[in-house]
Amino acid sequence: MTKNMKKLALFSGSIFLAAALFTSPVTAGDEVRIATEGAYAPYNYVDDNGKLAGYEIDLGNALCKEAGLTCTWIANEWDSLIPNLLAGNYDAIMAGMSVTEERKKSIKFSEEYYPVAPSLYAAAAGNKLDLSALKGKKIGVQGATIQAAFAEKTYGADNTILSFETFDQSVADLMAGNIDILLADGDPLQPVVEASKGGLAFIGEGVRIGGGNAIGMRPKDAKLAQQFNDALASLKAKGTVDTLIKKYFKNGPFYSK
Amino acid sequence: MMFESLLQSPFMQDVITLGKPALFNLYFALASIPLGFPFAVLLAVGKASNNRLISLLSRVYIYAFRGSPLFIQLFMCYSMMLALNQPLWKPWGIDHIVLHPLFLGPTVLILNTSAYAAEIFYGAMAAVPRGEIEAALSVGMKPRQIFRSVTWPNMLRLAWPAYTNEMVFLFHATTLIYFTLPVINEQKDLMNKAGELFERDYNVFLHFGVAALYFLSISILIFWVAGMIQRHLNKHITGAKTRLWFKPKYLR
Amino acid sequence: MLESIITFLTQWLGEDTGATLAYISNGKHLAWYASVRFTLITAVAGAGCAVLFGLLGAAMKRSSFLPFKLAGDFYTTIVRGIPDVLFIIFFPLAFEQAVEFLMSRVKCSPEAIAAATQWPPCDAAQWYLGTGHYLTMACISLGIVYGAFAANVIHGAMQAVPRGQLEAAAAYGFTPRQVFWRFQVRQMWIYALPGLSNVWMLLLKATSFLSLLQIPDIVLWADRLGSANYFPIKGLVHPDWRWKYYLVLFVFFILLTLLSECFFAILQARASRGIAIPEGGE
Repeated sequence: MTKNMKKLALFSGSIFLAAALFTSPVTAGDEVRIATEGAYAPYNYVDDNGKLAGYEIDLGNALCKEAGLTCTWIANEWDSLIPNLLAGNYDAIMAGMSVTEERKKSIKFSEEYYPVAPSLYAAAAGNKLDLSALKGKKIGVQGATIQAAFAEKTYGADNTILSFETFDQSVADLMAGNIDILLADGDPLQPVVEASKGGLAFIGEGVRIGGGNAIGMRPKDAKLAQQFNDALASLKAKGTVDTLIKKYFKNGPFYSK
Repeated sequence: MMFESLLQSPFMQDVITLGKPALFNLYFALASIPLGFPFAVLLAVGKASNNRLISLLSRVYIYAFRGSPLFIQLFMCYSMMLALNQPLWKPWGIDHIVLHPLFLGPTVLILNTSAYAAEIFYGAMAAVPRGEIEAALSVGMKPRQIFRSVTWPNMLRLAWPAYTNEMVFLFHATTLIYFTLPVINEQKDLMNKAGELFERDYNVFLHFGVAALYFLSISILIFWVAGMIQRHLNKHITGAKTRLWFKPKYLR
Repeated sequence: MLESIITFLTQWLGEDTGATLAYISNGKHLAWYASVRFTLITAVAGAGCAVLFGLLGAAMKRSSFLPFKLAGDFYTTIVRGIPDVLFIIFFPLAFEQAVEFLMSRVKCSPEAIAAATQWPPCDAAQWYLGTGHYLTMACISLGIVYGAFAANVIHGAMQAVPRGQLEAAAAYGFTPRQVFWRFQVRQMWIYALPGLSNVWMLLLKATSFLSLLQIPDIVLWADRLGSANYFPIKGLVHPDWRWKYYLVLFVFFILLTLLSECFFAILQARASRGIAIPEGGE
């Protein structure tokens, strides 16, 4: 009887092996896989038609066309973007990612494709808050962002920092009043404050954390970085980049004077 | 010397780092059981009730929470509580508590575990020997008395192995809380912290391995404590009934 | 086609209902509905794997060869001690690293391996993972986790088959192999079905973890669709609607459970046709 069971075991084992072979490794050819988050309007988002869209999608496609590359897009959760890049699941990141010294240690950045913009603080209107002496407040950030690191360092000791998986979730908690202050990139935050019809307001001065946004790549992919940089320089010179910035961010900042 | 070098090993470093996060998982489980247990008993009694409405409501509740994933229940409850923040929690001044993961996490766990436990208790109640109840009736006991001295102890004894299993499942389910609720300061659980460590050096076997060891050892601890309670519950019975323990129900 | 139906319904039901219908049938909602396929594929393929692992585990538990028996017991005990979600996240990561390790031994030069500062040591050993790979690995890891539960169920069911029947079969001159396949395994399913249906319910609920493996499943879409939108360029401007979408998922899974129960009831009736079971299943 046991002999038969062993045979049964062998049979199921071979099926498992077949399943493992089905996932046999494939290597990418000239195709460049670009990862984005898909939840960070206007940089990248899913539109009502269910397609990835946004400034970075348009710009990325233009860059690929300019450099003669075939590009495909992959949506990936924000906090595992860099690990999955290094693991080789895609070749580049365009996801509103700011250049920082910390990130430069693990990945290579192209030239910037969106200039440095200040991060802003949003809070319920009429809420008198002194940013230089915050105490016992709930400050929301998106986890693993430059703002998260900044808030932790600056306000972590006397305040509660809430980190959210996505930017949208942090906005939802700000709107619902679960956090006192949201520290985030100014560009996605601007329309949120406008849409609140006076319910929310920016407080204090913005802070400049990190650099502008750039394409992230593996350190060894110097050739790809060169291709992207050349294409970017030429699109900046042609004014294509500024046209796209105007389309998605209305009033700049622009690269041309 | 030996001890110090052992302490410096990556494995021991991980064991130390993950010690505090493990407390969060333990907290979530321990905070849910004391309320989940009585709620489950109420639901089980409700399901067995002769009152049609009470029975129907209990049945629907149990079916809904057993029939859907906890992962979605957590997402749903958080987004609903958030939507109610401005109209309710803020004016009542309890928004700081209600939306806190350390409060909301156990709340959703209680809603979830009580449905599973209620089904266990309901099954056990149906399995209470009819003869004992009839004997109690024949000596003139009132329904309340019968429940207290016949149904309740029998039910508890019969349900205990499966309930132990449910407590372990509940402990494992605590991993889902920080996948769905915001993380506050350094309040991270085992999965959260293991994932964070993984993203530093990509050593998946070490970090997830140590986290798994924590889960395994705490699960064994739960079985051990529950086993002692089991022996206490069964101490007046010899033979067949205690054997239940050695064939625990593996399913939720 | 779809648009003409919506236009008709708009005229018939009024402006608001029509607008709602148009909204919930736009591209991103269709993508959401279509993503149900990931849930269903994983559930069915995962269940298949779970039965295979279950048979394997049960075979090992029943083995008279001690190391096999210990391995079988180890497998079913360990899985019970760790959370399913931990294993489901761990397995694809570990599998990917293991494959890349093996590939690097074959494809990279020893110098490259020695000089490597990052993983994998050379490009040829890079394994690119797409949704299909993650989906396959999700099925296998669900199979391993719930296979351990299924192994216990099948192990119990094997023992529930009345001894007398097997002895009778042997007495009629059936070979041990025939007795095993035609009597023990044939009858085992009847005793195993209630337990396996329970495993299926667990597995079905565990498919909600797919979004943790970067698979754009119904949960990920619900979050994306429900999140507030303040950009007219992106589409309809609306506040946070996530709770509505999660409520839909909540009901969806309850309906799936209901459907599964009916399915298993029919299966049980069919499987036990012509076989008298003393006291129902396990």
